[in-house]
Amino acid sequence: MSLPELMSRVVIVGSRAHLEKAVEALYETETLHLIDYINGSDDGFSIGRPLKGSQEASERLLRIRAAEKELGINTKKSKINPVPVKDIRAQISAGKVDEVEKEVFAAADERNSLVQRVSDLEFVHKNLGLLSRLPLDLEFYSGYDSIKAFVGTFKTDPSEDLLKLENAEVFIAGGKKEVPVAAVFIKASEADKASSMLSDLGYVEIPVPEGSGSPKAMEEAVAAEIAGIRARLEEIGKKMAELSERHEAFLAASDEELSIKVEKGGIPLRIATSEYSFVIDGWIPAAQVESVKAELEAKLAGAAYVEFQESRGRNQHESDEAEPRFKTAPSKMKNGNMVSKFEFPTKLVSTPKYNELDPSILMAVFLPFFFGFMVGDAAYALPFIILGLYGIRNAKSKEFRAIGTVLFFGGIWTFIFGFFFFGEMLGMHFVGNNPLAPGEMSVNWQYLLNIESYPEWFISIIPNDGHGIGKLHDVTFLLKVSVYMGIVHLMIAYIIGFYNSFIQHGFRSALHHKGGWILVLVGLVMVCFALTELLFYSKPMEGTLLTIVAVGAVVLLAGVVLAWPAEKAQVILEMPGIVGNILSYTRLAAIGMSKAGMALAFNYMSIIMIGSGGDIVSYIAGFLIFLIGHLMIWVLAILSAGLHSLRLQFVEAMNKFFVGGGKDYEPLMVKRKNTKVVETEV
Amino acid sequence: MELGLIAIGAGLAVGLTGIGAGWAEKDVGAAAVGAMTEDASLFGKGMILMVLPETIVIFGLVVAILAVFVLGA
Repeated sequence: MSLPELMSRVVIVGSRAHLEKAVEALYETETLHLIDYINGSDDGFSIGRPLKGSQEASERLLRIRAAEKELGINTKKSKINPVPVKDIRAQISAGKVDEVEKEVFAAADERNSLVQRVSDLEFVHKNLGLLSRLPLDLEFYSGYDSIKAFVGTFKTDPSEDLLKLENAEVFIAGGKKEVPVAAVFIKASEADKASSMLSDLGYVEIPVPEGSGSPKAMEEAVAAEIAGIRARLEEIGKKMAELSERHEAFLAASDEELSIKVEKGGIPLRIATSEYSFVIDGWIPAAQVESVKAELEAKLAGAAYVEFQESRGRNQHESDEAEPRFKTAPSKMKNGNMVSKFEFPTKLVSTPKYNELDPSILMAVFLPFFFGFMVGDAAYALPFIILGLYGIRNAKSKEFRAIGTVLFFGGIWTFIFGFFFFGEMLGMHFVGNNPLAPGEMSVNWQYLLNIESYPEWFISIIPNDGHGIGKLHDVTFLLKVSVYMGIVHLMIAYIIGFYNSFIQHGFRSALHHKGGWILVLVGLVMVCFALTELLFYSKPMEGTLLTIVAVGAVVLLAGVVLAWPAEKAQVILEMPGIVGNILSYTRLAAIGMSKAGMALAFNYMSIIMIGSGGDIVSYIAGFLIFLIGHLMIWVLAILSAGLHSLRLQFVEAMNKFFVGGGKDYEPLMVKRKNTKVVETEV
Repeated sequence: MELGLIAIGAGLAVGLTGIGAGWAEKDVGAAAVGAMTEDASLFGKGMILMVLPETIVIFGLVVAILAVFVLGA
C-alpha cells in the first residue's frame, strides 16, 4: 500500500537568451512536471513565444503527415531500424522534405485525377449502354429548332402512354428484366405537356454524350479508354508502393523528430517570460530534487538557476492554501514491477489523488483472488495462465499487458482453488462418491478413468476426504465463505479510508468520518450473524449468541455516535447499504455455482451419449458437446468472473475510500522509437 | 407440494429481480455507452454506474438459494 511519490516544487529562472538551452536540459533530466503558467498571474510576465524554428518544423510536419496519409503509412506501427538523429536532422535541413513531398504528390495527384476520370467515364459508359438499346445514332438527339428531344429511363413500361402522344415520334426499348429506355421527339410547343406526363411515369433523363455514330461504337471506345486508365492506375499504385517502401524510414523518422521539435518549441507558451528573463515552475519527485538541481546547474553553467520552493505534504490544508496553479501536485504512482501492471484497472476509475493511498496493490491481491475463486477449476486455469503469460510477454499495448497480468494471476488462483479447494477439473471432481451427498449422479474422474483408489497424499491435500468442496452441494458453506471474504475486503477498504482521512485531515476528522463506519460495520456483522443463526437455524437466543448480539449492538451504537457529527442521519440510512455491500459478495459463490451447473449439464449429456453404445454418430456428437460446452463456459468465465471481480473492487471496496481525480505525473521527456541518439553526437 | 411452492418462489425471486435489474441497467447502460463514445476514459465510471442495479439480482439469488437449501432441506 503506497502513497504517490512525494513531490517538490521548484522554480527555474534564467535569462531569456538561454531559454532554448534550458528547455533542452529539462528534457534531458526527464523529471520535471511542468506547471502551466496562467497569463496575468504576475505583473510584468506573460507567456512566451515559440522557440526559433518551431514554426518551420510544424509546417514541415504537416507536409510529412500529408505524404504519410497519401502513402498509407502509419508511423506508430512502422517497423524500421531507428535512424540516427544526426542523419535525420541533416536530411531535413538539406530539403529532403520538399523532395519527398514533391515525388509523393506528383504520383498522388495523378492518381486522384485518374480516379476522377475513371468515375466520369464509367458514368458515360453506363449511359451509352442504355442508349445503344435504341436504334438511333448519337447525332440524332440534338440540333433541332422546333423539336424537343426527351431521352431517359422509366420506372415502368411507358409504351402505352407514350404511344398516345400526338405530334411525336417515339422510340422504346423495353424488356422484361431490363429498365425501359425511351426517346421521345415532340413538337417544341407541346414539350411542357409531355414533360409533366413523363415525370409521372418516373422518367430520369440520360445525358447524351456529344459525338456521332452509333452509341455501341462509342461505348466500346470508352471501355477501351477506361481499361487504359486502369492499367495506368495500377502502374501508379505500384509506384506508390515503391515510394512508400523507399521513404517509410525517412517519413517515420522525420515525423518523430519534427514532432519532438514542435513539442519542445511550444514550451515557452506554457511558461512565464518577461522581456529578458524566463521563469519555469515545475514538480520534481522530492527524492530527486538535489541531484536534478545539480545536474541542471552543471548543464546550464550560470545561465539559469534552480530554486527549491516547497515539498508538498499530504495534509489537505497545504494544497488548499496554495496558489490555484500550485494546488494539485501530480501523482506518480509508486509500485513494484508486478503491481504497476494493476495501475491500469485503477486508472480506469481515476488517477489517485496526491494524498490518498493508491489502490493498485489491493487490486493486485483481490482481483485475481476473486477471479480464481469464481472460476475455481484446475483445467480452466491452464489456458488462463498460458494466455496471460503470452499477454505479459508479447502484448505491445499497456492495456493488453494489464489484462494479461490479471489473467495470469487469476489463472494461478483458479488452479489453486480448483485443485486444492474444489478438487475439480472440467466441472468433475477427482474423487467420486461425495460423502455429503451419497447416491449423487454426478460424474467424476475416478469413475470415468476407472481409478481404483488415489494415493493417500492426494486425498489428504483436498478437503472432504479428497472430494473437495462441491459447488452445488456445499452451497451454504460457500455462501458463508463469500460473505466472510466480503467482510474482510470491506474492512480493509474502510481502514484505508481511515488512513486517507487521517493523513489529509488529521486524526479527529478521520475518527468521525471513517472510524464510525468501521465500528458500524463490526456491529452490523455481529448483529446480523446472530440474527441469521436465530432465523435460519432456529438457535435459541442465549449464551454466546446473546453476548454477540449485545456486544454487536453496543459497538453499532458506538459507531453511530462516533459518526454522527460528520455524517448525521446518513449513518443510519446507509446501514442497509452496508448489509447490501456484504451480501453483494455472495456473487463469488453464485457465479461459481452457475458455472458448475452448466458444466454438470454438458458433462452429463456428453457422457451419456458417449457411454450409450458403439454408435459412431453419438460418440462424435457427445465429444462435440463436451468440447463446445466447456469452451463456452470458459469464455463466459472471462466475462462474468472478470467483470464481477472488477466490480467488487470498483463499487463495493473503492467507494469506501477512493476519491481519485489526481493529476498524472507527466515529466518533460522524449520517447524515441523511429530515431535514436548516438552517443558521440549531441 | 410444499417443495414445489418453494421452487416456484425461488424461481420468482430470481426471475423478477432479474427483470428489475435488467430494466434499470438498460437505461444506465445506454447512457454509459453514450458517454464513453465521447470520452473513452469514462469506462471505469460508466462500469460502476452500469453494475450498480445488478446487486438486486444477487439479492434475488440469495433469497432463492436460501429458499431452496434452507427451507427446502
